[in-house]
Amino acid sequence: MSSEHLGERLSALVDGELGPAEHESALIHLARCESCRFEADLMRRLKRRLHGLCEPEPDADFMGRLAGLSRDPATAGRGPTEPPPGGAGFGAGPPLGLSRPLGGFPGGHHPASAPPESGAAPHRPQRAARPERHRPERLAHLLPAFPGGRYAVAGFAVASVLIGSAFVAGGDTEETPVVQPRLSDYAVEHAVTSRHLPVAHPQPKATELPYGTTEANR
Amino acid sequence: MSARGHSCPHSGPVTLLAVALLCVLLLTAATSPEAAAVPADGSDDGMPVLRRAAAAENQVAYSAVREMTGPHGPGGHVLRVRVVNRPGDGIALAPLGEEEDALVVRSSSALESLDERLLHMLQDTYSVSDAGLADLDGREARVVEAARADGTLAGRFWVDTDTGLLLGRTVYEATGAPAFSVRLSDLALGEGSWPEGRVGDEPWGDALTGTERAELRDGGWPLPEHLTWNLRLVDARSTKLAGNRVVHAVYSDGLSQVSVFTQRGKLDTKHSPALRNGYTGTGAGGSGVPTQHDTIFGGDTGQYQSMWQADGFVYTVLADAPAGLASSAVTALPDPGGSGFWARVHRGLARLGFL
Repeated sequence: MSSEHLGERLSALVDGELGPAEHESALIHLARCESCRFEADLMRRLKRRLHGLCEPEPDADFMGRLAGLSRDPATAGRGPTEPPPGGAGFGAGPPLGLSRPLGGFPGGHHPASAPPESGAAPHRPQRAARPERHRPERLAHLLPAFPGGRYAVAGFAVASVLIGSAFVAGGDTEETPVVQPRLSDYAVEHAVTSRHLPVAHPQPKATELPYGTTEANR
Repeated sequence: MSARGHSCPHSGPVTLLAVALLCVLLLTAATSPEAAAVPADGSDDGMPVLRRAAAAENQVAYSAVREMTGPHGPGGHVLRVRVVNRPGDGIALAPLGEEEDALVVRSSSALESLDERLLHMLQDTYSVSDAGLADLDGREARVVEAARADGTLAGRFWVDTDTGLLLGRTVYEATGAPAFSVRLSDLALGEGSWPEGRVGDEPWGDALTGTERAELRDGGWPLPEHLTWNLRLVDARSTKLAGNRVVHAVYSDGLSQVSVFTQRGKLDTKHSPALRNGYTGTGAGGSGVPTQHDTIFGGDTGQYQSMWQADGFVYTVLADAPAGLASSAVTALPDPGGSGFWARVHRGLARLGFL
């Protein structure tokens, strides 16, 4: 193996596309070349990330390097905690490998749902707000066992509106007048139509009410 | 792959279960809880006897003492009323010894029409049969019985074979116990002591037609055609008292009569509807307003009274009926509800037309 660096063969090595002889020579070169070894390590990590493997967070050194690349002259004058204008810049979004790949994550699981490692990334930037178009996927993820969930939510909303309207409509109306029924006139009218005299004296006496012996329980 | 293609694996059994429950509910609803709670079939061969008795009231002058007894029978409270009937003028009613304060009911086509409707209700609801002859206080009478669909006795009439006058009648509870009885004694044919000079009373003049009743209902007035399966609206009238419109609805099964007086408004705060489950009772004769309505009272002579407010209306029920029927009538009308959240929601749903 020459002293030349692996170059494009490094990618083939990482992908396992080298023949046995080339693979052996590439490994020998890596044992001697720190630069290629570092690059191979970097590519492996990147590949794992892209394949959604459960790989621990990138180390702080790697993230620091990537963050350093993002610093451009336009943002150099701001403080380290100030957000860039016009939304999040590089480093404010998910780390490389954590963003949503094309076609979604395998199995519908987001790698960010794994519990974060404490202290693994002290300067880890906050994730940007998830775009609105992701919400239906999240609802579908929350309600997989109840296909009628959406209808239930809609029904609950309608019931709430109906009950609220009924509560308002059921209130006392101020214009309801206070009346005193003309009971003596009612008694005469009833006696005329039934042609029976009403009882002349209250039965039972008012002092015996409400649980006198002459009551008829409903 | 589409969401439409995805179906719950348990939807089939759930649907079947729902359909089965619905069938059970429909069958349960279609089955009468009581065998007697349906109109009774029969030849109704007793109706001609009763129609003759109704006609005799407009043809035969007489005076008598009408004895009204309640569920306790003659051993309980008995109301004795002097009755003087003069065809063409009407009938005078006064407690014995107080004939000068007689209530005179003038003859009117409205009452004749009401009598006819009451007879129709009796025929529609019960099996009315001629039960033969009997002796009643020395007078021969033809007995007519009204039976429920299950064969139990609901009412019995005694009609004088000579004059056709109704000598007595008894109305029975569903249990078979007598609810109240009316009987004529000291019957004397011919014009008796008529209280001359008395103008007399007639039913309120504004009889409500079917169209007018529908308009009232559209305006929110509670005026049901039925209170129970056997208590049907047989007459509805209206008048104005103290500037307020009052509707008098008469419900009957042919044997009993229930008057429901309805007017817009609410009771004074001193008649607190919060007492006794929101109901307020009235003293018999309309005097005083004792606090009560979850129980209606009266009953010594088969008369019951009750008053309450509900949903912007004040209801007053005066009933000549068995206690069970009177209670059913009260229960069928809007109840006073409560002051809680759900009571208000229920009231609101009713106002919005959902109930």
